Amino acid sequence: MTLSLILLIFILTVLGAPLFVVIAGLALILFFTGQIDSSAMIIEMYRMATTPILVAIPLFTFAGYLLSESGAPKRLIRLTDAILGWIPGGLSLIALVTCAIFTALTGATGLTIIALGGILYPAMLRGRYPEKFSLGLLTTSGTLGLLFPPSLPLIIYAIVAKVQIDQLFLAGILPGILLVVLLSAFSVQKAISAKVPRTQFKLYEVFIALKEMVWELPLPLVVLGGIYSGYFAVSEAAAITAIYVLLVEVVIYRDIKWKDLLGVMRKSMILVGGILIILGSALGLTNYLIDEEVPMKMLELFKAHIHSPFVFLVVMNLFLLLVGCVMGTFSALTVVVPLIAPVAQAYGIHPLHIGIIILTNLEIGASFPPLGINLFISSIRFEKSVLRLYLSCLPFIGVLLVGLAIITYVPWFSLALLK
Amino acid sequence: MDRWERTDEIIDRIEQILIVLFLSSMILVSSLQIILRNLFDTGLSWGDSLIRNLVLWVGFIGASLATREGKHISIDVVSRWLPSLGNKIVTLIIHLFSIFICILLTYASLKFIKNEAQMGEATFLSIPNWVLETILPITFGLMSFRFGLRFLNSLMIVIKREMMNREGDQK
Repeated sequence: MTLSLILLIFILTVLGAPLFVVIAGLALILFFTGQIDSSAMIIEMYRMATTPILVAIPLFTFAGYLLSESGAPKRLIRLTDAILGWIPGGLSLIALVTCAIFTALTGATGLTIIALGGILYPAMLRGRYPEKFSLGLLTTSGTLGLLFPPSLPLIIYAIVAKVQIDQLFLAGILPGILLVVLLSAFSVQKAISAKVPRTQFKLYEVFIALKEMVWELPLPLVVLGGIYSGYFAVSEAAAITAIYVLLVEVVIYRDIKWKDLLGVMRKSMILVGGILIILGSALGLTNYLIDEEVPMKMLELFKAHIHSPFVFLVVMNLFLLLVGCVMGTFSALTVVVPLIAPVAQAYGIHPLHIGIIILTNLEIGASFPPLGINLFISSIRFEKSVLRLYLSCLPFIGVLLVGLAIITYVPWFSLALLK
Repeated sequence: MDRWERTDEIIDRIEQILIVLFLSSMILVSSLQIILRNLFDTGLSWGDSLIRNLVLWVGFIGASLATREGKHISIDVVSRWLPSLGNKIVTLIIHLFSIFICILLTYASLKFIKNEAQMGEATFLSIPNWVLETILPITFGLMSFRFGLRFLNSLMIVIKREMMNREGDQK
């Protein structure tokens, strides 16, 4: 009976039922068969409200939405163009760097492809980059930067896996840079072989672009400076970021009018609501699973077949790529992390290193055929068939997988910046 | 039907106002706390509790609006390859399932609140806990209502199309 109900729920999931309904449904079935009162599930959900860093989610998301609706993407592209445009393959570097920065600020929610793709894609075609290359680059870059603070998945991972958020922020920086560097090297080499024309370096253009962006340049300092100088907690840095972006975009640049602000608040909070309700439902489900010692049982199962951490990491990576591709970043984070993180830790892997491995997998999984969400967002944004995007993305996914292998087996990248 | 749609629109306006109000106070109170702590070495004792509850309220109102706009996160695999009528029927089934789960969640959260009211504990500014928790049943109740509306809407579309097809056949 229970099994057939669970099977039914899986079918409904694949048919497109909202994920929070599915997760809550699963939890309710398990509570019912375990003869636990269903209000226990609500207790877990309400427990969310006791997490101090939770406030970082709405505040950073609001700031990210404001930035994406303002002229910031255009200014950022102009500036990176002035600085990097003269390098062979410069435009592809611009795309990678701006996408990474933008994803970190807007939180890997598909906004990058929608906000930046529309400007970068025509620019790349005009710069005589091959269409297939441009599509692949912009699609896989949709989640590039997920490892940089203050991206939403980092915050949610810290909440779910109960690790220190400021430490996790630090752990993500070098692996994030590694992925950008690998993709850049690949793109430059491609651009040279495709004989893409270069532009000239003009110092005054750099100055103009810098001047234009002068108010947004301190943003990384606003986000991170306060946290690591010890003045602010992460949640406070989120509040300062929100106020700062609000002042800059609405009062100084006037890119966003006061009356449009209401719409931005609404849109961003709908996204936050969609994420929080999944997080809340997942808390009910995973707490039940932990009470039933499911992670322990999984660990026994793994230990019986896999002895070396090396092999375990291969299996975990394959599993996570699949999960990231099928479930999407946020539901994978809330449902899978509480189960798999303790197992990985039992194999002697550093908790923060586990976090970075998991997030890298989810980042790649988001572009992984056949179901990665980036593929579908790109398909709509660039009006190309999904099949065409599969083919365009493959070389980039190959490069990212090399990065994943390095991040997985060289813990130094994740742990070097920590004390 | 129209009357329900209009009710939903009024609720939407109220939610919009609350989102703006709560998000703005969240930003203001957070900043006030930072200023008080760093410059005057003090702070509002109830500030952090208030902020956390504001997050919960904003989040749940956002989730209820996500239901109205059909913006919940989901895995959408099959619908891309289904014919349009099959798609409509799948949508009907999914809405029905969502209504069912949301009603169960409404019931569970009402029970939760009843327990909390009996315990009678209070949080900041001596506001009873259960008052802050009312957002849970409100959200799930609204979601049930909105999934219901969406269900009826898609049902009407299917029926209308079916009737037009029949008329077409008779001619």
